[in-house]
Amino acid sequence: MDHPHLHSSDGLTRRRLLQASLIVGGLSALGNFPVGAEPSSSITLPFERGRRPLVTFPEKRPLMMMTTRPPQLETPFPVFNESVFTPNDAFFVRWHLANIPSTIDLQAFRVTLRGRVKHSLSFSLTDLQEQFEAVEVAAVCQCAGNSRGFSEPRVAGGQWGHGAMGNALWTGVRLRDLLEKAGIAPDAKHVRFDGLDRPVADATPDFLKSLSLDHAMADHVLVAYAMNGEPLPFLNGFPLRLVVPGWYATYWVKMLNDIEILNQEDHNFWTEHAYRIPDNPCGCLEPGEKASNKVPISTMKVRSFITNIPDGASLNAAPQVLVKGIAFDQGYGIDQVLLSSDGGQHWKAARLGKDYGDFSFRQWETQIALKPGQSYELQSLAINRIGESQQLHAKWNPSGYLRNAVETVHVSTKG
Amino acid sequence: MFPQRANLFMTRASSFLFLIIGILLTSLGSLSVAEEPTNTTRSIFLPTDPFSFQSGKGREVAITYCVICHSADYIYMQPPHSQIKWTEIIKKMKLTFGCPIPEESVNLLSEYLTHQNELAPLGSTPLHFQKESSPSLNEEGHLDKGKSVYTTHCLNCHGRMGKGDGPIGKMLIPPAANLTILGEKSDQELLTTIQDGRPGTAMPSWKGDLSPQDIQNVLSYVRKFSQESSKK
Repeated sequence: MDHPHLHSSDGLTRRRLLQASLIVGGLSALGNFPVGAEPSSSITLPFERGRRPLVTFPEKRPLMMMTTRPPQLETPFPVFNESVFTPNDAFFVRWHLANIPSTIDLQAFRVTLRGRVKHSLSFSLTDLQEQFEAVEVAAVCQCAGNSRGFSEPRVAGGQWGHGAMGNALWTGVRLRDLLEKAGIAPDAKHVRFDGLDRPVADATPDFLKSLSLDHAMADHVLVAYAMNGEPLPFLNGFPLRLVVPGWYATYWVKMLNDIEILNQEDHNFWTEHAYRIPDNPCGCLEPGEKASNKVPISTMKVRSFITNIPDGASLNAAPQVLVKGIAFDQGYGIDQVLLSSDGGQHWKAARLGKDYGDFSFRQWETQIALKPGQSYELQSLAINRIGESQQLHAKWNPSGYLRNAVETVHVSTKG
Repeated sequence: MFPQRANLFMTRASSFLFLIIGILLTSLGSLSVAEEPTNTTRSIFLPTDPFSFQSGKGREVAITYCVICHSADYIYMQPPHSQIKWTEIIKKMKLTFGCPIPEESVNLLSEYLTHQNELAPLGSTPLHFQKESSPSLNEEGHLDKGKSVYTTHCLNCHGRMGKGDGPIGKMLIPPAANLTILGEKSDQELLTTIQDGRPGTAMPSWKGDLSPQDIQNVLSYVRKFSQESSKK
């Protein structure tokens, strides 16, 4: 197998990875990574121009800074080994527009329902908390372009590693309950969401996203006011965020303050022209090929990751070495995770951890035998409950969306 | 390299905090009936862009148009793109996202971005993290030089007479600042804004682009706008 990212001419990248793995290797026996131990340092992702300084933004621990304005911050990957739920202060950040409010007064803040409803309504945060049933869902929020930096050939866009995702316990009210309170007009078809963020130049389309009315009425679609039992971090959408379990994060509108019910499809830029994928089962193309038809991106593809051993690690040989990780899909739930230590020639089933719900990360673990002086290619492969599995080889599309390839962790043992 | 920047940010964040505490103490001390600050307000203070565009032909175009909407790191994180790809990206910014870049500058910018993209060392980003030495407040700015800096760097947004009505300034949200009404701002406040930019606005940090003396020069020139308007 060819691994272009590891044959980079940038020797520093490789060396840094090895150094990092040595530190991590030393601590892995304790089951912990030294996350955030060096806030002034950087992490280098294994692709060209992958150096990311660790920077502390408000309410966040040091995260990998991809861009400053608007802020795009990636979760350092070892965080995913800490717990099944991603801590709020480590949760990734991605804004499209730089005009983000720096102050929100909850006494003045309202979320409005308007358009094809019987009564237009506005609610304060307290109204939502006092007048509606509180509902919880554990769900993964993953950027459509998570892992884009691994696209081969490379594509334009935010050059994320694998850390533009997170799993949280979201608390809020059902969107359906709000819609029913407002009274849905008989001709209502779609629901459009807007947040407080605005473009800088007024010619830039405001960031809006829509769901079909049927989807908006689904049991698990929430207007969330809490994340892991705390108010949302400002940069993750305080005070309210749409939660669309199983769908890519582009739909999870942050700082949600406007819900418009439409009697037709939404023709705004971000729904009609952005975040679209080739209209075929894999959402993929051959590099250079043009899509004959494109459709809006929607549900997440099944993925899994090894979280306790970084790529390039040097480990001690042992008959029983713990390998653990996470898996998730669009909400069918994870049925099985398989692990290979020989680059996919042989697979064995891992044990699944506690089930926090079909939209959550599912932890898994297993043991492998490592002999001295060897090289191993560790791979995990998740299969969901309708039999969908990860791609053995990465598929490609020009936007770098939907990656769900089996990822490889290269490990060597001391002789 | 980065901790200096982080310290700078913390310094600014804490001065912001002191400002709030100051306001609180003032209102308590005078027993004013001003609205009590409530615990229902949440605020953050975002760091300004520590990166800047590196020198090269066409840089003026990049620091005029690209930074309206996003920081320079959007460019430097990109994998190598051909000039054709950069032209495609610039056209998308212009046609889809409303970047006001004139058609005749597109080629120059695509050449510059392609070159920057080639220059960027593998696996790293050109960083301008070093905290520049603060310009001395004692130095008198040179008005003619200030005018020249203003015309090159500021006029597009702030307008010829500083009213915030330059061709780009008018279309920004929030709009470019009206420099004719800055009479009450201290020199230090204005220097900080010019040096570090204003979070949440298109006002970029100029400390990587302008020397401390040029910042002082342009401040002296900008001061003239409010002096002239107060005379009327």
